[in-house]
Amino acid sequence: MKKMSGENRDFDGVWVLGDYRNYFQNRVTLQLISKGKALAQKLNTKVSVIVLGEQVHQYAMEYVAHGADVIIVAEHPELREYQVETYTALLARWVEDFKPEVFLAGATSFGRELFPRLAKRLQTGLSADCVALDVDSETGLLVQTTPAFGGELLADVVTPNRQPQMATVHPGVFHERPHDPEAVGRIIYPELDVLPEERVRLLRSRRQQTRSINLEDAQVVVVGGRGLGSKEQFGLLFELAELLEGEVGATRPAILPEWAEEDRLLGQTGKSVKPKLLISIGTSGALQYTTGIQGAETIIAINRDPNAPIFKMADLGLVGDATILLPMLLEALRKRL
Amino acid sequence: MNIVVCMKQVPDAPSIRIDRQRMTVIREGVDSIINPLDYVALEAALDLSKREGGNVTVITMGPPQSEEALREALAVGADRSVLLTDPAFAGSDTLATSHVLARAISRLDPFPDLVLCGTQTIDSDTGHVGPQIAEELDLPQVGGVNEIHLEDNSLVVKRLSDGFLDTIKVDLPALLTVTHGLCPVRDIPLGALEIAFSREDVVTWGADDLKLNKEEVGFEGSVSRVWKLRPPPPKRKGELVTGSPQTLLDSLIRKLEALSVLDEEDVRRE
Ligand SMILES: Cc1cc2nc3c(=O)[nH]c(=O)nc-3n(C[C@H](O)[C@H](O)[C@H](O)COP(=O)(O)OP(=O)(O)OC[C@H]3O[C@@H](n4cnc5c(N)ncnc54)[C@H](O)[C@@H]3O)c2cc1C
Ligand SMILES: Nc1ncnc2c1ncn2[C@@H]1O[C@H](COP(=O)(O)O)[C@@H](O)[C@H]1O
Repeated sequence: MKKMSGENRDFDGVWVLGDYRNYFQNRVTLQLISKGKALAQKLNTKVSVIVLGEQVHQYAMEYVAHGADVIIVAEHPELREYQVETYTALLARWVEDFKPEVFLAGATSFGRELFPRLAKRLQTGLSADCVALDVDSETGLLVQTTPAFGGELLADVVTPNRQPQMATVHPGVFHERPHDPEAVGRIIYPELDVLPEERVRLLRSRRQQTRSINLEDAQVVVVGGRGLGSKEQFGLLFELAELLEGEVGATRPAILPEWAEEDRLLGQTGKSVKPKLLISIGTSGALQYTTGIQGAETIIAINRDPNAPIFKMADLGLVGDATILLPMLLEALRKRL
Repeated sequence: MNIVVCMKQVPDAPSIRIDRQRMTVIREGVDSIINPLDYVALEAALDLSKREGGNVTVITMGPPQSEEALREALAVGADRSVLLTDPAFAGSDTLATSHVLARAISRLDPFPDLVLCGTQTIDSDTGHVGPQIAEELDLPQVGGVNEIHLEDNSLVVKRLSDGFLDTIKVDLPALLTVTHGLCPVRDIPLGALEIAFSREDVVTWGADDLKLNKEEVGFEGSVSRVWKLRPPPPKRKGELVTGSPQTLLDSLIRKLEALSVLDEEDVRRE
């Protein structure tokens, strides 16, 4: 394919930020390697993963096995903790040296904090939380598709005159390639010059207790929202989940009064799930929530308002009072066991 | 401690309507609100300044009507407000928006100890503007903050990031983006809004006041271009069941059986 002309000719390669901190929970880096490879093919170039940390060789190997052509590694004690300012300084220098044309990161908390600062330093464009990416065949530009106006529309955004073209990508929209132990890739360790950030110091960081809540892998997820009205009503969901061998999720208004732990939050600021069945009870269907449940194969919604937006994305919608229906359902299910 | 809060007036989500023929947003009759997380930032700023002294300045970039948002903030207790409005600012992407806001903040006297933003807005929803202001002003940043304590000349803040509970010490001046749970949002006291609307203390700055060229801001100063807007892929068209609780229950059980979540055998044996 024809490469871009003019000032952009110098830029070459698709870069992916290696966000390994939650490797076992969040596979967005692997998803981006796979998508990056498809984009790189169209651009006639390679996909590289940039890994910053202290001892990250194992992740580098993993990224090769999942399809990366090149891994660019920075190992340094100062890089052990994810740190926006330090990472920005290092990445900005590498971008200037290597000149990638595309740079992608997962829309994780860290990705969404780091990438804006990096894009600003590089004076280039950035799209947030993309749900699709493609290369325009005429111009070779990266077409970044992002939800607009509360998800009512999708916007195709391009960065025509700046490089690299940057985007953060919603976890779960692309599929990782299978692990191939035979795969070969190049791992390079460029020269480093790390400037520690003195103004921000991480005093403590502990992994939130997850109490084996495994929403991401659950086959059945039952979600409760504000419509359940009380902690007692919400509590019935735990029994329902147990009967269906599933997990309990929650919307923001159900987390705030502590009906459920923060870890159960679904949506834009919470988790994304992809169960076979999701039952959404007493939730209106705000976009910030539904972005987290789009991957569900089947959605059943219970809401007393027939116009609730959640019904627009449900395969089965039940218009009625959840506080009546839920005890009846539990009763019926208990009988069958 | 002098604090600046960046606030954006946004369309109230439920009132947004789309003209699907023309693929545009219908702007008439849309209610505007202060972006919810910016309100959280404002409450946190007021709380900090009450404890530590100092002024709270609210600042917004937007069309002239954004002044309403500033008036509302004054009614809740902000000391000063700055409206950044100029036809030249229209069409700004986040790079250009953060440029205008950063320039305005850098012209405040004294320079603030703390800049607060929401973690993201409900309309553009990028979460870019806070970190990009921090970058332009060379301030340290912490995102997604839900707890703030002052210690000497630093802040100790907490935030949840990708499943980690971080406690971070950050020197002032700094920029934080804040999220849910930081501060309860109060109702505006009766009458305070009227008083705020009768005061005349909203400072307005345009591109000239900020010594910004037209090429640096607005559409011209933006590097991202929207190629097209299109409808999202069709939603699922499901079945909607109404009726007695028993009717609902029956169709629910049937669906669970059809999905093999429930075993039909169990029932027959009973
Ligand atoms: C920046 C930002 C990020 C956000 N991120 C998230 C996020 O990640 N996840 C998230 O969930 N939210 C998020 N939110 C909040 C989101 O916008 C919605 O407010 C939230 O999802 C609504 O939750 P809900 O559906 O439970 O409550 P509501 O919108 O109040 O809906 C309750 C529903 O229950 C129905 N109902 C009431 N009583 C009954 C009854 N007895 N039986 C049956 N139905 C009943 C009502 O008809 C209504 O439709 C975010 C908001 C912002 C501003
Ligand atoms: N036009 C604006 N005027 C003032 N503050 C803004 C503006 N746009 C964004 N912000 C601030 O930046 C935060 C993140 O916005 P966004 O990048 O649009 O999601 C908001 O919560 C505000 O605090």
